[in-house]
Amino acid sequence: MARLLSFPGTRRQRELALQAVFLSALAALVLGAALTARERLAAQGLTSGFGFLRKATGWEINFALLPTTTADPYWWYLLSGLVNTLFMGAVGLSGAFALGLLVGLMRSGRNPAARLLGTLYVELFRNLPIILQLFFWYAVATALPNPRQSIEIGGALVNARGIYLPGPEIGRGIAALSALAILAGAGLAVGILAARRFRRAAPLRRQSLAALSLAAGFAVAAGLALAFRDPATPWITHPRAEGLRITGGWRIQPEFYALALTIITYGAAYVGEIVRGGLKAVPRGQIEAAAALGLTAWQRFSRVTMPLAFRAMLPMLANQSVWLMKATTLGIAVGFSDFFMVVAGSINHSGQTLELIGILMAGFLAINLTLAALMNRLDRALSLEGSSMRPRR
Amino acid sequence: MTQTTPTRAVPRRRGLWRRLRHDYAATPAAALVTLVCGTILVAIAWTLIDWAILRATFDPAAGREACRAAGGACWPVIAARWRVILFGLYPYDEQWRAALACLVVAAVILLSCLPRMWGLGRLAAIWATGTALFYLLMRGGLFGLTPVNEQQWGGLPLTLFVFVATAVIGMPMAIVLALMRRSSLPGIAIPAGLLIDAIRSLPLLSILFTCAIVLPLVLPDFLIGEKLYRVVFGAALFFAAYQAEIIRGGFQAIPRGQEEAAKALGLGWRQRLVRILLPQAFRLALPATINQFVIAFMETALIVVVGFMDLLASANTAFRTGEWTFAHVEVYAFIAAIYFAFVFGLSRYGAFLEARMDAGQQRS
Amino acid sequence: MDRTAPAIEITGLHKSYGGFQALRGIDLTVARGERVVVCGPSGSGKSTMIRCINQLEEHDSGTIRVLGTVLDGRLASLDEIRREVGMVFQQFNLFPHMTVLENCTLAPMLVRRLPRAEAEATAMRFLEKVRIPEQAQKYPAQLSGGQQQRVAIARALCMEPQIMLFDEPTSALDPEMIAEVLDVMVTLAQEGMTMVCVTHEMGFARKVADRVIFMDRGEIIEAAPPGQFFSAPQNDRTRQFLSQVLGH
Ligand SMILES: Nc1ncnc2c1ncn2[C@@H]1O[C@H](COP(=O)(O)OP(=O)(O)O)[C@@H](O)[C@H]1O
Ligand SMILES: [Mg+2]
Repeated sequence: MARLLSFPGTRRQRELALQAVFLSALAALVLGAALTARERLAAQGLTSGFGFLRKATGWEINFALLPTTTADPYWWYLLSGLVNTLFMGAVGLSGAFALGLLVGLMRSGRNPAARLLGTLYVELFRNLPIILQLFFWYAVATALPNPRQSIEIGGALVNARGIYLPGPEIGRGIAALSALAILAGAGLAVGILAARRFRRAAPLRRQSLAALSLAAGFAVAAGLALAFRDPATPWITHPRAEGLRITGGWRIQPEFYALALTIITYGAAYVGEIVRGGLKAVPRGQIEAAAALGLTAWQRFSRVTMPLAFRAMLPMLANQSVWLMKATTLGIAVGFSDFFMVVAGSINHSGQTLELIGILMAGFLAINLTLAALMNRLDRALSLEGSSMRPRR
Repeated sequence: MTQTTPTRAVPRRRGLWRRLRHDYAATPAAALVTLVCGTILVAIAWTLIDWAILRATFDPAAGREACRAAGGACWPVIAARWRVILFGLYPYDEQWRAALACLVVAAVILLSCLPRMWGLGRLAAIWATGTALFYLLMRGGLFGLTPVNEQQWGGLPLTLFVFVATAVIGMPMAIVLALMRRSSLPGIAIPAGLLIDAIRSLPLLSILFTCAIVLPLVLPDFLIGEKLYRVVFGAALFFAAYQAEIIRGGFQAIPRGQEEAAKALGLGWRQRLVRILLPQAFRLALPATINQFVIAFMETALIVVVGFMDLLASANTAFRTGEWTFAHVEVYAFIAAIYFAFVFGLSRYGAFLEARMDAGQQRS
Repeated sequence: MDRTAPAIEITGLHKSYGGFQALRGIDLTVARGERVVVCGPSGSGKSTMIRCINQLEEHDSGTIRVLGTVLDGRLASLDEIRREVGMVFQQFNLFPHMTVLENCTLAPMLVRRLPRAEAEATAMRFLEKVRIPEQAQKYPAQLSGGQQQRVAIARALCMEPQIMLFDEPTSALDPEMIAEVLDVMVTLAQEGMTMVCVTHEMGFARKVADRVIFMDRGEIIEAAPPGQFFSAPQNDRTRQFLSQVLGH
C-alpha cells in the first residue's frame, strides 16, 4: 500500500504540518458554524447578546426555592433554576450515599438474607433506565387520591398534589437559607473529619468537633426558620383539607419528591456497588492484623476497614456524584424546574438559543469543576503518604 | 477465667443446624438483621405474588370495572395495547416489518457476543449489514416495501435503532478520539482532550437538546437532515467521549514493552496500532466497554424528552388515553421487563467475560 | 487465666478447607518461655496451625488451650486470647492510613483502654527496642521492608503479650534486611518471650530454638531440639527438606 503521508521534510516538519492542517480545519469548522448562525439569526430578526437577561420573563416556573414572580428577569430565573438543581443534587447525593452505604454493607456482609435483599435491590434499580423509574414514581405520585380524599399519616397529608407536612409557616427563601445552613454544617463536619490538621487530635475530639458543627448547622437553620416565620400563625401549622384546597404546613410537590426518590434509589444502587468494591479492596491481611491485635469486630470495621475502603472508593464516588448532579436534568421530564428546564423554557420564550445553551454549559461546567475540586481536596487530605493504595478498577 | 471441663474436645459438628446458626444468627444482632431482612423479603415476595398473580385479572376481554373489582394487576391492558407499546405510530399493517427489524438487531447483538466474531473486520461487517437491513425494513421504499417516514417510527424498533446507530457511529468516533488524545502532538491531543472532557461534564439531555434545536442554527441547509439523525449524532458523540476514555484506559494498561518490542521489530505506526496495540487495548477494555453499551442502551430512553415515540414514550401514551388511565403500573412493569431482560442479560454477559479474562490472566 | 498451665496446648487439631485437609491431627504443647521454630515445605499447614492459635482460622475439631483458656468459639475467650497473643505476618500488614506511632498505640488504647500518653510512652519504648524510634511519625509506606517488619513486631509487643507468633516474618524481605529483623527476634527470645515461629532461617533456629518442628501435609513429622534436629533427623522427609533448605 502506498504511504499516504510521503512528506518530503523531516519528521518534526511533518508533525508541525499535520497539526497546522488539523487546527486550521477545526478553526474553519467553528468559523463556518458561527457565520451560518449569524446569518440565520439575522434572518429571524434576533439580536444576539446577553441583553435579554435583564428583561422580565412573563412566564411561570412551578417550583422555586427562591421567590420568583413573572415580573422577575431572566437572570433571576436562571439563578433560581441553578439553586433548585443544587438543592436537588444535595438531597439526591446525601440520600444516595446513605442508602448506598447500607446496600453496600448488606451485600458485603455474611448474612445471606441481607445479601439477597441487597442483591435484589441493586439488580433491580441498576438495570432499568433512570427515566423509566422517574416516570413510574411520578405516575404513582400523581395517581394518589385527590385532595378531598387525602391520606393522613401522622399529621401529614398525602394526595395527588403532593405531600403536606406540618411545619412552621416560613417563606421559600428562608427555607432555602436554612437548608444551606444545614449543608454548610455537614460540609464542615466532613472537612473536620478529613483535614490533616486534625489528624493528630484525639479521634474523640475530632468526632465531637464534627458533631458540633453539624449541630450548629441545624441550630442556625432552626433559628432562621423560627425567627422569620409568620408571627401571626402558630409555631407549627398542620395541613388541613378545605375541600380541594389544603392550607397550612409544607407542601412537597410530586415533581420534587418523585425526582428526588428516583435519584436516591437509582444512585444508591451504584453507590452500593462502589461501597462493596471498596470493602473488597481492603487487603485481608489488614483485617487479620487488627484481629490479631484483639480489636473487636466494630473496632476493626471502623478503624481499619472503613477508612481504607473509603479511600479506595473516593475516585469512583466523585464520578458518581458528577453523574447524579447531571441526572437532575431529568426534572424536565416531569416538570421540576431545574436549571436545564429553566434554560429550555427561556429558549422557548426568548429565542436566544445560543446564549442560553452557552449559559447551560457554563453552569454545568462550574458545578462539575467545583465538585471535582472538592473531591480532589478530600482525596489529598486522605491520601496515604508514600503509598497509593487504590483498588483494582 | 479457667475452663475446667475440657468441653468440645470431641470433634465439632459441622451439621446443617450449626451452619445455619453460624450464618444467620451468630450473635443476637445478626439474628435481628436476619429477622428484619427476612421479613422485608417475604413481604415483598407476598405483595408481588398477590398483586401480579393471585388477585390479578388475566381475561383479555375484561375491562376497567372487572379489574377494579379484582383489586390486583390488570393484565388485559397489555393485551389491548401491546401493539401501541411495542411499535408506537408505525402503520398497523406494516408492523411485521418493525418486528422483523427488532429481530435483526437482536441477532446482531447475539452474534457479536460470540468470541469467534471478535475481529475488527467481522464485527464491522455484522454491524454494518445489520444496520442496513434494519434500515431497509423500517424505512422501506425498496423491493416493494411501502416507505415509512422516520417520524412514524416508534416503540421498541426506535429504541433499538437509536442504540445501534449510537454504537455504530460512536465506536469509530471513540477510537479516533482516543488515538488523538494519546497523540504526542499537542496540537491534536489538546483539542481532543478538551472536547472529551467538555462533553463528559455535560448532561446527555443537554446534548440531545442542543442537537435537536441548536444544530439547525449552525449547520448549512444540506446537513441539517431529520431531527432523529441529529439526536442520534448527539447520543453517539456522548457515547464516544466516554468510550474514548475507556479505550485510552485499555491503552494505558498495555505493558510498555509491547510497543517497544513492536518498534524494535520495525513495525510501522499503523501496523503497531492495528496488530499490536488496538487488539490488546480492546481486550483490556472489554468489561468496561460492555458496561458502556449497557449504559448507552438505558440512555436511549432519554430521547423521550426531545419528543420521540420510543418504547418509553409509547408506553406513556398506552395508558394516558382512553379507559386504561389507571393501569400505569402494569404498563411500566411490561416495558420494565423488556428493558431489564436486555440490560441484565448484557451485564451478566459482561461479568462472565470479566471472570473468564481474570482466570486467563491467572493462568499465564 | 491459669498461671501454671502451659502456654499452648493443642490436641488432635483438624482443619479442612472444603474437601482439602490442611491439618490432620496436630498435637503440640508449648511451655511458658519456650521457643519453638516450625518449618516445612510450602502448603504443609504451618500458617494454618499458628493462625488457629489466635483463631484467625476457626478449627474443625480438636482442642486448643492457650494460657489455660479453651478456644471453643465463644467471643469472650477470643477477646481474651487475642490480647495475650501477638502476631507478626509475612506481609507486615501495617495499617497504611496511620503513622507508625498510631499503629502502635491503636490496640493498647482501644483494647487495653490505656490513656493516650501512656500508650505513646509504651510505643516509644518498644520502637526503641526495635531500633527505629526516629520513624514514629512516618507512614508505613515511607519505610523499608525491614523497618516495616520491625514496626510490626513493636506493634504486637505494645500489647505486652505473653506469647508471640511469627509467620515467616523474613520471607518477604530482601536479604540485606533479614538480619535486622532476626536481630530483634533474637533479643526477644533471649528475654524469655514464649515464641512460635514459622521460618526457614535455620541459623535463627539453631541459635534460639528450644525445639524445632517439621510439618508436612498437615502433620507434625518430627520435633526435636535443634542440635538433634539438624545433625540427626529421624525421618526421610525431614532429611530431604533439610538438604533443600540448607543447600546440600
Ligand atoms: N483460605 C484457604 N482456603 C482454601 N485453602 C487454603 C486456605 N488457606 C490455606 N489453604 C490450603 O491449606 C494448605 C496449607 O496452607 P498453609 O497453612 O498456608 O501452608 P504453609 O503456611 O505451610 O505454606 C495449603 O495447601 C493451602 O492451599
Ligand atoms: Mg504460610
